[in-house]
Amino acid sequence: MKKYKLSFVTASVYALLLLMVGSWVSIFIVEKASLTLLFTEKNLFYASKFFKGLLGIDEESPAYLHAENWKNALNLTFETLMMSVMATGFATIAAFLTVVPAARNVADGSLTLVKKWHGWLSFGMVRGGYIFSRAVPELVWAMIIIFIFKPGVLPGAIALALHNFGILGKLFAEVIEDLDSRPVRNLSSSGAGRFQLFLYGVLPAALPRFLTYILYRWEVIMRTTIVVGFVGAGGLGQQFKLSMSFFHYTDITLLLFFYLALVFAADYISEKARIFIK
Amino acid sequence: MDKRWLSFELHKRKILTLILSLAFIMSLFSVEWNSELIHSKGLETAKQIATAFFTPDLSGDILILAMESSWTTLSYAAAGMSLAIIIAFFYGILASGIVVSEGNIKRYIRPFFRGQLGFMRAIHELVWAWLFVASIGLSPYAAIFALAIPYGGILGRIFADMLEDISPEPIKALEAAGASKLQALWYGYLPLVRANITSYAMYRFECAVRSSAIMSFVGIGGLGYQIQLSLDDLHYDEVWTFVYFLIALVIVIDLWSNQLRKRLVQ
Repeated sequence: MKKYKLSFVTASVYALLLLMVGSWVSIFIVEKASLTLLFTEKNLFYASKFFKGLLGIDEESPAYLHAENWKNALNLTFETLMMSVMATGFATIAAFLTVVPAARNVADGSLTLVKKWHGWLSFGMVRGGYIFSRAVPELVWAMIIIFIFKPGVLPGAIALALHNFGILGKLFAEVIEDLDSRPVRNLSSSGAGRFQLFLYGVLPAALPRFLTYILYRWEVIMRTTIVVGFVGAGGLGQQFKLSMSFFHYTDITLLLFFYLALVFAADYISEKARIFIK
Repeated sequence: MDKRWLSFELHKRKILTLILSLAFIMSLFSVEWNSELIHSKGLETAKQIATAFFTPDLSGDILILAMESSWTTLSYAAAGMSLAIIIAFFYGILASGIVVSEGNIKRYIRPFFRGQLGFMRAIHELVWAWLFVASIGLSPYAAIFALAIPYGGILGRIFADMLEDISPEPIKALEAAGASKLQALWYGYLPLVRANITSYAMYRFECAVRSSAIMSFVGIGGLGYQIQLSLDDLHYDEVWTFVYFLIALVIVIDLWSNQLRKRLVQ
């Protein structure tokens, strides 16, 4: 009889399929969510009312007809932009400060030819911190932080930075692990200190990829700014939530327009910047 | 002085670093730095939250609730991803323009579908969720559709990029042997990108779990909903229990997808 060996990949694919089917079953049966109920006349009425509201049909004075609202939205857009830049800056600084012990080849001493007793200990601690900070979504960080800080741009930036710190740290550490170790060893054997090693050995070689990752995360942060705003962390998101609560649907259209413009602009700028340094 | 030092090419990275640092410094001026930034009892709250971090609530009720909401979160993520994969499959093929021959149709079909994918992923999943809840009410489908659309947009775009980037030789060989466009797709394109797209979808699945957890913010059940409820009751110890469950869920999927990707992409 031919021995049938289940490889890890096939087993995973089956497990995933099973998970998806199980999820649908649990949604259908346990939660009794019915698809047909979605398309009742009542829902159709609410949906059409909502979208009409967004477009400002039957509205006496849609928000997008007033210059005042445009100015207000523009200010909020600027605030959101500042929040995203600040968040990226905080995350980058924190990741730079911690990234050296988080690289595997620093911990085992193969990069710098110096093996310290606490190499693996600090590696584990920093990596653990990275995992923790990136496993918690930005919104949850924002919900917690808003208990400490007053609503505004700063708590939003900190929440975004906390989540992205873990991601950037991991990405940066992987860049250092992939580095050519010879120049760094050379520096190390001629007596360079830790800081000098980072400044003259690691940074010049890794800077292009660091910059690429920073720009890429900035794009993502820009998209997420609106979400942390929902819990009161300032910017377009906060206004979005307020307008939603007041049923000012035409305001939402305007805010969504500015948000989309911001996201597309960030994508464009970061793409051009990445081509610029290539 | 060395002439090379003056070349523009050499300093591009430094210029970009400088611009980015300046932008960061400028952004710091948008906040007024004084003690008004923190609530009057903010530091005390911070201390309470920090203490609760080490003493999470591990009573039976909370653990069962946490497990139930973990499954809700996971099942919404899996259901959303399954729809996202379907969206990505069809949109990806159309957006890469490989099924139509060169010419006028291709010139219009690619930007048309790529634009739609771009629109889907430009709006954050939580905003989609909000729009869905406002139009179809609080139903699991609001969460599932809200996950499926942006993730379908991202996966579809990556899928289209992969289909466009593969080496043309195997396809030419198939076409020379008389394969139709559909046969070339089935026997040429799809097997070539299968490993890469599976590994990318797996990575996205991990993100989907995290997103599905925060879907609850608009009122749809799951871990995030429990976190929010506990926060509103100022039960910080319960908050951390749910957060630990979320972290465990994310880490398990992260490890799984890492193992899978290592084997898929050699």
